[in-house]
Amino acid sequence: MLNYLIKRLLWMIPMLIGISLISFFIMHLAPGDITASESAFNPKASEESRQKLRALYNLDKPLMTQYSLWLKRIVKLDFGNSFASHQRPVLWETKDAKGNVSKGMIQDALPITLMINLIGLLVIFALSIFLGVVSAVNQNRWPDRLITIIVFVGFAIPGFWLALLLMYWTGVTHSWLPISGLHSAGYEKMSHIAQYVDLFKHLILPVSISSLGGLASISLYVRNGMLDILQQDFITTARAKGLPENKVIYGHALRNTLLPLITIIGLSIPGLIGGSVIGESIFAISGMGKLFFDAVLMRDFPVVMGILTIGSVLTLFGNLIADIGYAWADPRIRRGISN
Amino acid sequence: MYIRYLLLVFLLFNVTSCSDKKVSIYNYEGTFNSEKGGTLIDAMSGEPSNLISMIAGDSASSAISGNIFNKLIKYDKNLELAPELADKWTISGDQKTITFYLKKNLQWADGHSLTSDDVLFTWKLVTDDKTRTPYGSDYKLVDKAEALDPFTFRVNYKKAYAPALDSWASLQILPKHILKDEDINHTFFSRKPTGSSYYKLTQWINGEKLSLEASPSSVMGEPNISQLTSRFIPDTSSQFLELIADNIDLMNINPIQFARVIPSRPDLKNKLALYKELGNSYTYLGFNLKHSPFNDIKVRQAINYALDKQEVIDGVLLGLGEPVASPYKPGTRWSDKNLHPYPYDKNLALKLLHEAGFNDSNHDGILEKDGKPFTFEILTNQNKQREMTAVLIQRRLKDVGIDVKIRVIEWASFVNQFIKTGDFDAVILGWSLSLDPDQYNIWHSSQQKPGQFNFIGYNNKEVDQLLEEGRTELNPDKREKIYHAFSKILLNESPVIYLYAGYGLTAMNKRIKGIESPAPPAGIAYNSYEWFIPSTLRRNEIAP
Repeated sequence: MLNYLIKRLLWMIPMLIGISLISFFIMHLAPGDITASESAFNPKASEESRQKLRALYNLDKPLMTQYSLWLKRIVKLDFGNSFASHQRPVLWETKDAKGNVSKGMIQDALPITLMINLIGLLVIFALSIFLGVVSAVNQNRWPDRLITIIVFVGFAIPGFWLALLLMYWTGVTHSWLPISGLHSAGYEKMSHIAQYVDLFKHLILPVSISSLGGLASISLYVRNGMLDILQQDFITTARAKGLPENKVIYGHALRNTLLPLITIIGLSIPGLIGGSVIGESIFAISGMGKLFFDAVLMRDFPVVMGILTIGSVLTLFGNLIADIGYAWADPRIRRGISN
Repeated sequence: MYIRYLLLVFLLFNVTSCSDKKVSIYNYEGTFNSEKGGTLIDAMSGEPSNLISMIAGDSASSAISGNIFNKLIKYDKNLELAPELADKWTISGDQKTITFYLKKNLQWADGHSLTSDDVLFTWKLVTDDKTRTPYGSDYKLVDKAEALDPFTFRVNYKKAYAPALDSWASLQILPKHILKDEDINHTFFSRKPTGSSYYKLTQWINGEKLSLEASPSSVMGEPNISQLTSRFIPDTSSQFLELIADNIDLMNINPIQFARVIPSRPDLKNKLALYKELGNSYTYLGFNLKHSPFNDIKVRQAINYALDKQEVIDGVLLGLGEPVASPYKPGTRWSDKNLHPYPYDKNLALKLLHEAGFNDSNHDGILEKDGKPFTFEILTNQNKQREMTAVLIQRRLKDVGIDVKIRVIEWASFVNQFIKTGDFDAVILGWSLSLDPDQYNIWHSSQQKPGQFNFIGYNNKEVDQLLEEGRTELNPDKREKIYHAFSKILLNESPVIYLYAGYGLTAMNKRIKGIESPAPPAGIAYNSYEWFIPSTLRRNEIAP
């Protein structure tokens, strides 16, 4: 087992270099650089000053040199500073000599995105398991049909459209929920409890919208897995020995159905740091999606590379965790790895 | 399927049935006297990136820093130069030296006095090669800058440079006592500025909002509204919902919201005031003058006659724009009232095209010359208004027998692969209606290298000469004549076809009073420090 782990971890190094190399070159294939987007059509900004900026950012050097410069910094975990005019650090805060702190861009955006995605993931799994079990137990009867229709409508409906309608309905006509943002106007002056309530209210719509699309696949997964298990012999045995139906379903069938979900949870780890650009824009939440999207449009290479690197590390670790989790939960696989 | 329709009907029902339910509790009508206090909340689509304006390139940054910092001189409501930090300025006989006389007793928000030393320091910063600014070139033309005494600042140019005054009306003066040991490219100051103008920054939460508070030591006097809060809301539909829900006070709206949505809803009409002002840019159809047949003046004029500009304005902007006949803002002295846009005249267009050698010899509806059909491609970037404009142009040119294809391209590719390489027939783009009339960079024949702005390849000796003259003449009356002559040639030669200058449209909660309407050439915001919020109309503000 330990050998296996070490092997997997060592494999990650060439994989990461490969991923970063490919993303670096693909990104530079896109025409233009930061100087084009910042002042491309301002007659007051001369071509000479743009050249000066290009040199300042090493954008005038050959691609390979730029890549090795980047790689040299990244192995020291230095993600560099944004090309945008605020020059904020990409990853984590830095302090200048006078103690003025400049916060990192990912540091600002990541907690917000993580919070929304984690809550979203929780909601998706809890609801999906519930819906899936109800569907499977009532196979081909009306609760099953109704649930299938609802999750598919949720999957098919354009999120931004539903978001705007819900914002209008709950925010403008009824004033039940805030419309956008994460905090109300007087947030700083509220008590702690009031702050949590305020945050909770702001999160209801974004989390609901972001979970809606995920319900369909996982609830169907649970439903079909459940149906498979329910037909197996040990369930018949359980029923035959007189176990109550509740125990059969939740004690025996569900536990076995949940096994493959471990893989899905592992695979959704990298997704946790990615936000939806449209959702974040509509709800005015400054998370990772918007950060990445704006950075790509601006050709802000350090930020793009920073997010891609973190994303690929998480993807690789997510795969590993999924495999380990699976081995932990299923003795058959564990034996396979040891051999 | 049923469920989906049911859901739709249900939502629509709710939207329509509840829309008029929330009755406004404020009485906006009546006369109010100006008073101090209150908070104005607005929405910004982008977050400012750097409040040192010489380094920032985005409009959000300049919108905020303009409230914090002062310039030596400014543009007044009629877009004429007026005093700001400088009481007055004099120009030497040879037009090479400009002397600014600063007001006495100027102060930074932290109590330090503001002197000509700060101005000199700012000039040194903007011309320093290490400073990461794209705007240095205007100031590098200064041969010698000196602070003669604390209240006198003098600049010498190697040769007279007329846009100099405009450049001093855009350079925000920075405090030397704070920045002298700072690296301007990476300084805390860009997010914690100390200025001299109406407001000072009190709070900036990344990705959320930014607040300014009236500065008691403002060199401009105290503004009426004591707090400005800008919320960062990227999506304009969400901004609009926040405006309807009374959570923000003003936003820029689009023509549909201005002309259709708000007027048709009594509840919105009751609490929102609408303002329009001429924007700062115009949209044009520009030709690649190096490509045939656009090197033929008759072809360009024919296309100009073939396009109905009013139709474009009505169709694209719902009538909320103006045709222009020169690259200057209508209503300012640089815009010549005697010039008029080409009228729509299909027959004249056809006549000119025939004279240029185009005939429909094979009767397929498309004109040919030397056996080649007249077909070309219009490029534009991803901008809804420009795309719609292109479609209208395509249709009008089909009427006269010109086949137009449209291609929409992402901005960075557009600039790098087509504009810089000169690989295009025609483009739909916009230029700003500059406040200073100098447009040397755009029209002078020397400015055609890749990355420069005369990418259409315009080349006219007379225009070159006028542009050079206009650059060295500081007397506004003489300049006016030069640029009127320049505009006349430009209109006649039609290297670009002016399509429209759109209005800037603002919806503002009626609690904000003191706005000048109709808007002067400088726009409604020119006197925003005089706007006020009567205490009876203020939001319930949470006491600290």
